Amino acid sequence: MQRKILSGVLCCLIAVFPQSGWSVSGDRKPYQPPPKQLAGAQRIEFALERLTFGPRPGELQAVKEMGLDQWFEHQLHPEQLDESALNARLADFPSIANLSVADLMLRFPDQQRVRQAMNSKAPMPENVVERKVYEVQAAIIRDQEAAKSEEKKQTENASPAMGMLETPEPPPTANSPADIPNNGQAPLATQQFDKKEQKVDLRARYEAAILRVLGLQPEQRVKALLAMSPEDLSRMERAMRPQEKQALLAGLSPDQHEVLLALDNSHEVVVRELVGQRIIRDIDSNAQLNQVMVDFWLNHFNIFINKNPNMPYYLVGFERDVIRPRALGNFEDLLEATAHSPAMMLYLDNASSIGPHSEAAEAQKRQGKNSDAGLNENYARELMELHTVGVNGGYTQADVTEVARILTGWGVDRPGQGGDFRYFERRHEPGTKTVMGEKYKESGEDEGRALLHFLATRPATAQFISRKLAVRFVSDDPPQALVDRMAQSFLASNGDIKTVLRTMFHSPEFWSAENYRAKLKTPEEFVISAVRVSGLEPQNPQPLVNAIRNMGMPLYGAVPPTGYSWKSDAWLNTGDLVYRMNFALSLAQNRENGCTRNWSIVPDAWNGESPVSIVPAEEETRIEYALMNGGLNATTRNAILSQLHLPPPPNSTTGATAPDADAYSQVVKLPPNQVEAADEMLAGYILGSPEFQRR
Amino acid sequence: MNRRFFLSNGALSLVGTAMLPNFLVRAAMAGASNATSKGNRLVVVFQRGAVDGLNVVVPFREKNYYAMRPTLGIGAEKVLDLDGSFGLHPALAPFHELYAQGHLAVIHAAGSPNASRSHFDAQDYMENGTPGNSLQPDGWLNRALQVEGALTPTQESPFRAVAVGNQLPKTLVGAVPALAIEDLNSFSVGGPGAKASSASNAFENIYAASGDQILRKAGDETFDAIQRMRETNPGNYTPANGVEYPKSAFGHNMMQAAQLIKSNLGVETVFTDVQGWDTHFNQGGETGQLASRLTDFGASIAAFWRDLGDEAANVTLVTMSEFGRTARQNGTGGTDHGHGNVMFVLGGQVKGGRVYGKWPGLEHEQLYQQRDLAVTTDYRAVLGELLTKTMRSTDLEKVFPGAGLNRNQFLNLV
Repeated sequence: MQRKILSGVLCCLIAVFPQSGWSVSGDRKPYQPPPKQLAGAQRIEFALERLTFGPRPGELQAVKEMGLDQWFEHQLHPEQLDESALNARLADFPSIANLSVADLMLRFPDQQRVRQAMNSKAPMPENVVERKVYEVQAAIIRDQEAAKSEEKKQTENASPAMGMLETPEPPPTANSPADIPNNGQAPLATQQFDKKEQKVDLRARYEAAILRVLGLQPEQRVKALLAMSPEDLSRMERAMRPQEKQALLAGLSPDQHEVLLALDNSHEVVVRELVGQRIIRDIDSNAQLNQVMVDFWLNHFNIFINKNPNMPYYLVGFERDVIRPRALGNFEDLLEATAHSPAMMLYLDNASSIGPHSEAAEAQKRQGKNSDAGLNENYARELMELHTVGVNGGYTQADVTEVARILTGWGVDRPGQGGDFRYFERRHEPGTKTVMGEKYKESGEDEGRALLHFLATRPATAQFISRKLAVRFVSDDPPQALVDRMAQSFLASNGDIKTVLRTMFHSPEFWSAENYRAKLKTPEEFVISAVRVSGLEPQNPQPLVNAIRNMGMPLYGAVPPTGYSWKSDAWLNTGDLVYRMNFALSLAQNRENGCTRNWSIVPDAWNGESPVSIVPAEEETRIEYALMNGGLNATTRNAILSQLHLPPPPNSTTGATAPDADAYSQVVKLPPNQVEAADEMLAGYILGSPEFQRR
Repeated sequence: MNRRFFLSNGALSLVGTAMLPNFLVRAAMAGASNATSKGNRLVVVFQRGAVDGLNVVVPFREKNYYAMRPTLGIGAEKVLDLDGSFGLHPALAPFHELYAQGHLAVIHAAGSPNASRSHFDAQDYMENGTPGNSLQPDGWLNRALQVEGALTPTQESPFRAVAVGNQLPKTLVGAVPALAIEDLNSFSVGGPGAKASSASNAFENIYAASGDQILRKAGDETFDAIQRMRETNPGNYTPANGVEYPKSAFGHNMMQAAQLIKSNLGVETVFTDVQGWDTHFNQGGETGQLASRLTDFGASIAAFWRDLGDEAANVTLVTMSEFGRTARQNGTGGTDHGHGNVMFVLGGQVKGGRVYGKWPGLEHEQLYQQRDLAVTTDYRAVLGELLTKTMRSTDLEKVFPGAGLNRNQFLNLV
């Protein structure tokens, strides 16, 4: 009963708001700085900005009805939240949700794996369809190699620089069907021209087949493609235009979709699905705090996707099986899981570290091999500096080396085939080790477990993790008192992440008015929050992935083990700002492929030509209220209105170029397409405004 | 409020500069000064990840070098000899030529006096110029411009300090406005073109009106720079002398560095970085991982040099990396985090064709902490000399506070 009354009051408030506080004309109140502690609706807005990737439409009311504290507790228990809508979206990516890393590598091989299979050095799948992926990829490789040797032959005779930088367009291979035109013999002088010609020929050759296949029903389409020879299939795909490739995939089930993508470029399927699911979860997960923490831990335990060709596959497992289930769990458990993950062992090179006096090293010496077996201290150092105690955590170079000794043997079983973590006793360095004064008697893998327990429970670790969380959630320079309180919770709860976050949430420092819009959104946060608040359900995550990359934050793309910075200064630069404004415009004008929204309230059934009556200021208020819960600064609002370049209202006295602000609160009649264009610009300006760059 | 109007109509003198926002004043001043003055420029290349200097410039007379690097060491017969003691990695043939021409100088056993072997800390220290003090909020190169700016205030331009890349490096952070631009050609709002789009004008006004001081400043600088960049028509750039840059990220960056320097935008310093040097595993010797990184590195910088043509006379380029790598190879065919390293200085005023610095030796007892090449030249002495002699930044105590640098420490590279 009480809730209903509350929501009723809220509705009234919303209805009244535009006339009192929000209208641009008349006696609008000047912008008031927030009070010392955030209160009321601002608290909810703040909580959503900080603990989620930004509010969805209507979410403020929903949280208000539920009660902020209760909402927070719900967020701490993601397993109890309804994720049916998200799961429906994720059904687009069946393989990476279910397959082991080894099976992913088998089903979606990279070139290296295909080459191995071509030389019978790696197994091929039994299944006919999966086998076809290898056959087509092998055909592509053969075409590429033939093109390379052909090019070499030609350039050896021609002037050296000629044509070297052109994208190679492979001529047909020796074993290609005889009916494919062969331009390999063309005179050198027309080489470049002939490359274009080949493309034209390929097109001419396959055009009929392309049109025939595109005309088929989905089921028949897949069958027809699978019935083609690998050579024909790979070349036909090369001859297709981008829109045709899109059309080829239309109406397919997720499994069929994956198969066709794999036939085109099997390695790319895993990379695209990995970044795709991340974007979809960021946008659509109801367990937003959990997703924010997944993002946080993936950055804390950073792994660079291009470390080696196997890394995309291992990253699927790392995120799905190591990070996600523990994002709100126990820190030591999480640390243990990352240390036992093949992804981390490969990324920080521990998989190749060998004890200088281990059995493996001794055996090599006995065989008289020029042994280069020995320690690699990369993981040992980052484990302390970046994962636990921090660079000032009280360790020395000698400690780093000792940690490396302890962790010898922690490796990966057959990394080329997606094998799992494995402890290799033969590589383990014998003897007692000492780290930061603690002795570790020889006990194989257990030494490492004891070390991880030691590191996970250090007060320095509690401080380091708590500060990093506070920088992510509270402020670039969080109060030490808050960090101390969180660190105490960390130690008292044996590293329970929920408890630490609860302490933060219930601390006055979290709710300090100074924090309101004090954090600059990272590129990921900016892009995702813009999509979320716009109520968009992107059909294709790829443009968003690209936007985030262009702003300097490619997902899984941080090269150094430090990951990305959570502080404003890392993201406040000119290039970044240009991309943010362009993205805002592009999103609002529906130019981001797969993101479409009608910003206007012109009814769809509106008679195309007859003018619509609008009040520009009211349009601005409507869209501003939808996109910026806390509103814009008055100066920003006026600047936006003055940039609409609408024709002056009929009774305006200020002339055509610069109507004053009052003019925007009068009715103007415009053709519907102009209203729509103005609304799109309004949305673009608001999403690109200084206020929207903050959370 | 249109900047072009003010500038092109001389309205500035009527209005007076006191009423204008800072960026407009800067723009106006720069417009007045750039055409007449053409100073020296400094290009800084940061090799992130700690390059293995001992395999970049090989001390091929050191027996212990080969003993410590049984599989990674590069034979004396394979290196490109510099002076009978040191030789370039065979992948750096373009550098060998520049060295022979007297444009390229090598400084060995250079680096930071700080012992940190953390990538993050060591880069931070190198870039802020105060090793050991992580609280220094700005970068050495920005402070160098501040010092110089105090001498010649009319030199102001939004392009004084540009980072080619999508993040502003610590080196350039500070009071002098600095830009990070990844791609000159797509540096516009609402689409490229000879005129600003209406959306670009709108955002310019929205940011100029903002009460958010930090974002307003960022917006001012952005639009100021966009407009000036637009005027240089960046889409039409063709490298001079038929130069072809490697088709790599670094090659692209170096091409844009040349483009910036030749654009007459008032560029004084360009920073860019290149990754991929953290070779813990399978580093390779004459060929392999490090060799292919060096091929790209050398070819890109050499292309830049030839592209500059006559401008090269006024340009100095310096390379640095956060620390060197262990003198001994590790157990996985690579090297771990070490200490002393090699720097290159290339330029029209450089006394090249020499290996500078005091060689500390590689015998066990000569190694730093028994594992790394020692540092005998503080990297700040190299930078300090370049700043003093080519950039008019003479107050080195402000640029490198606490370093106590004086001219006696200079190597007389220029």
